[in-house]
Amino acid sequence: MKEKTSRSIWEKITDNSAASVVIISTVVLALVTGLAAGPSQVINSIVTGGMWALLAVGLALVFGVMNVPHFAHGESFMVGAYVAYFVFSPIHQSLQESPNALLAAIAPFLAMLVAGVAGLILGVILERLLFYPLRVRTKSGWVMNAFLLTVGISFIMTNGTTLTLGPNFRGIPRYWDVEPLEFLGVRVAVDRVVAFFVAIASIVALWFFLRRTRTGRAIRAVSQDETGAQMMGINLNFIYPLTFALATALAAISGASLLFMFQAYPTVGLKPLYFAWYVVMMAGLGNVVGAIVGGFIVAVLQTATQQFVGIAWEDVIPTAVMIIVLLVVPSGIFGSEVKGVQEQ
Amino acid sequence: MNAEQKPNAGTWGMITAGLKKIGFSPVGLVLLGIVAILPLIPPFNQEHMIRWLIMGAFLAAQAAAFDFTSGYISVVNFGFAAVLGLGAYTSAILANKSPVLMVQPGISPWIGIWIGAILAGLVGLGLGWLTLRLRGIFAAVMAWFVGIALMGLVRNLTDLTRGPLGMNPETLFDTAANLPYYYVILAMMLVVYVALRLVTRSNFGLAFKAIGQNIEAARASGINPTKYRVINFALSCMFAGWLGGFYAHYFGSLTPQTLMHTSKTVEVLALAYIGGRGSLWGGMFVAFPFVFLIEFLRSNLTELPGLHLVLYGLLMVLVMIFYPNGVAGLYAWVVNKVKSSRSKGE
Amino acid sequence: MLQLKNLDASYGFLQILWGVSLFVDEGESVGLVGPNGAGKTTTLRTIAGLLTPTGGEVSFKGQSMNHVPAYQTTRKGISYISEDLNLFVDMSVRENLLMGAYIVRDREKQLETLDFVYQLFPRLKERESQLAGTMSGGERKMLAIARGMMSSPQLLLVDEPSLGLAPHLVTDVFNSLQKLQEAGVTILLVEQRVNATLEITDRAYVLEHGRIAMEGPSSELVQDEHVKQAYLGI
Repeated sequence: MKEKTSRSIWEKITDNSAASVVIISTVVLALVTGLAAGPSQVINSIVTGGMWALLAVGLALVFGVMNVPHFAHGESFMVGAYVAYFVFSPIHQSLQESPNALLAAIAPFLAMLVAGVAGLILGVILERLLFYPLRVRTKSGWVMNAFLLTVGISFIMTNGTTLTLGPNFRGIPRYWDVEPLEFLGVRVAVDRVVAFFVAIASIVALWFFLRRTRTGRAIRAVSQDETGAQMMGINLNFIYPLTFALATALAAISGASLLFMFQAYPTVGLKPLYFAWYVVMMAGLGNVVGAIVGGFIVAVLQTATQQFVGIAWEDVIPTAVMIIVLLVVPSGIFGSEVKGVQEQ
Repeated sequence: MNAEQKPNAGTWGMITAGLKKIGFSPVGLVLLGIVAILPLIPPFNQEHMIRWLIMGAFLAAQAAAFDFTSGYISVVNFGFAAVLGLGAYTSAILANKSPVLMVQPGISPWIGIWIGAILAGLVGLGLGWLTLRLRGIFAAVMAWFVGIALMGLVRNLTDLTRGPLGMNPETLFDTAANLPYYYVILAMMLVVYVALRLVTRSNFGLAFKAIGQNIEAARASGINPTKYRVINFALSCMFAGWLGGFYAHYFGSLTPQTLMHTSKTVEVLALAYIGGRGSLWGGMFVAFPFVFLIEFLRSNLTELPGLHLVLYGLLMVLVMIFYPNGVAGLYAWVVNKVKSSRSKGE
Repeated sequence: MLQLKNLDASYGFLQILWGVSLFVDEGESVGLVGPNGAGKTTTLRTIAGLLTPTGGEVSFKGQSMNHVPAYQTTRKGISYISEDLNLFVDMSVRENLLMGAYIVRDREKQLETLDFVYQLFPRLKERESQLAGTMSGGERKMLAIARGMMSSPQLLLVDEPSLGLAPHLVTDVFNSLQKLQEAGVTILLVEQRVNATLEITDRAYVLEHGRIAMEGPSSELVQDEHVKQAYLGI
């Protein structure tokens, strides 16, 4: 057997032929779209890609570490959006009366930070309050049960929000009142640029955490072999809530950073959920690195579809692509890191 | 105990045994009877009450079809509502006579409903074949994707469906009264339940159980797990499409977002799970009081929109964590207690 | 150091261990042998904290361990090398070893122990950056044992280390275990290869159908008629 050293991501990708094919086709597709629709669409794809990558990473993490197919991930996004709104709007109001350049510049970041913290807290509460009792009580069929639990959570959260905050959109036109930036002849709104960099920064931070810190390594160990991790002295009852909190926080930050685009309303999480799941299914369940790359691939696919395909088939093409993926590489393009793909 | 006292001898015994075969205990039969004559008794004979009863039976049938998949092969059909909508729209389009849309086949709804069912069954077959050789979660998510795609298709093929504006297919009967529709849906509900119950009692049912308990042993006995899962899934989808056809020609108004949305699947899912997975009848039992409760809350608590849904979701989560056997499990426990106390008393 | 008193253990409704009593003194090397399905692995798992006993008591250094979960038994000085190995397949040899030292907060100490372990298992040092999932069976066993040593345990529970190994590798593994014992580690060894086990252990217990059938110094057990017939094929 060929000796595999601890490989870099690049090596892992080029070794995998399905992944190579897909990545090359994606780049080609992106270029073609760019030629047909102009560089603004390429920028679009990149920004959107960052968005989906951030969301998909949290989903992959929860699946890989806790073996939970998370269907309330979109609601974490929603919470982030709402928190950001309720933090930013009052500040924005007071800034109208007494302008302060510094505050105006950092207020959005404050909103995102608070949203992230809210996500952490929410994640811990949900995990301890709901997943822990379920885990203790489930003898078999954990994956399905956990999935249903998240469906229930999603249902409660969307309807609960409608009940308490009403179905109306809470939104802001923009975070920063400045001129759009110019990049390669394309005008991009500052908000979008910042959202992109927030996504990248969050992903990089997560990366360092998982690779370089003791706790991060513990999380990775749990995702690879739970029993082994316990034997090493790792407390699962610490790792689970931490992982879930992280994933929730990432989604919340995403929702906060995109408040200007998506606004905040009870069902705002649906589309992010769909795309996060699409990326994860395509890249491979539980594969965190794959989720990041996959985010960009899906964004290109999305932009290309919008550009070349009639609106009637817009929802159908992604599904058709997914069907092909399931037929050819069911464990995902980058390989699933979750216990088993074939039926149990 | 002599022969006169034994409850299982003679004609009575034969009747109960026969009923049991098609899934009815004496208690079940009584409940069915009540539900059947309810709309003739005040205050249930008011039009809006009969409407609620129709919704109850409609949801009950859906819950049974859904539970057939989730309870027997442990797969959550997350595109269930969309498949139902597919059946509805197929039948509606086939019945269309108006030149506003692209085609006007003008086929009678009584026939169209069946065609919708077959189409839905075929979709289930294809989807099942694609995903059921993999883990259950793949089928669930893919069904979700396909459901969204179907909803999007319906919304976008405006020449066929009028998109978000919706269709107004002709109704089954000319009358404005709800009662005839009630007996139609009640009959359909019975057919769904009995048919599925017979399947679970047949060799297919044995195969499902074997697959669920020990898949390797099942394979060794010559059972192809994928084949049985696919058949199960296709059947469930077929019934969903069939019920959708009824909906189209009863309600007389279809829109993709209200009919095919994932949240509609979740409602049926919650019913099936609160009722008790794998029981088939649990969700049916829960459906009727559920509808009444929802309508009651909706009309009386208008200042708190969606409260009923929140409570419903909470109930589902609590049942799932703390009492996964649901209402059917509770019933079985009670029956057990009664039986054991009876035998103790003798 | 380790004492099991009348231990009962079950998986659900199936009781595996019936009143098992044994002890291991500090510095000893004790074997637990017996046929397949006797409950040897169950015994180790119960001591390691992966299974809660339904009766009796497990005590380590005087402390009751009945309700101590797996992640804490490691912190108390018990290291379990499972039959499945439970290696982190997508981590390198070095990463696996360092994970073994998870409970050791001092970086210096970690690297010291790593050096020690590399001395015992030089082949592991050669393959330091190789992914655990790509190593051969023998190498993985070595890695598992080495990883178990990284927490500087006082008691090492080893489950069927020779299973599935070619004879020369078995010798290697047993040599390593002997080296460890010489280094002062107390070992409880579960094995099917009775002969080899009796050679390297001080004492041994024979477990049959979840009960201790025989016990005594290994040198004596080797001579015993029942043992010879049933397990040594003589």
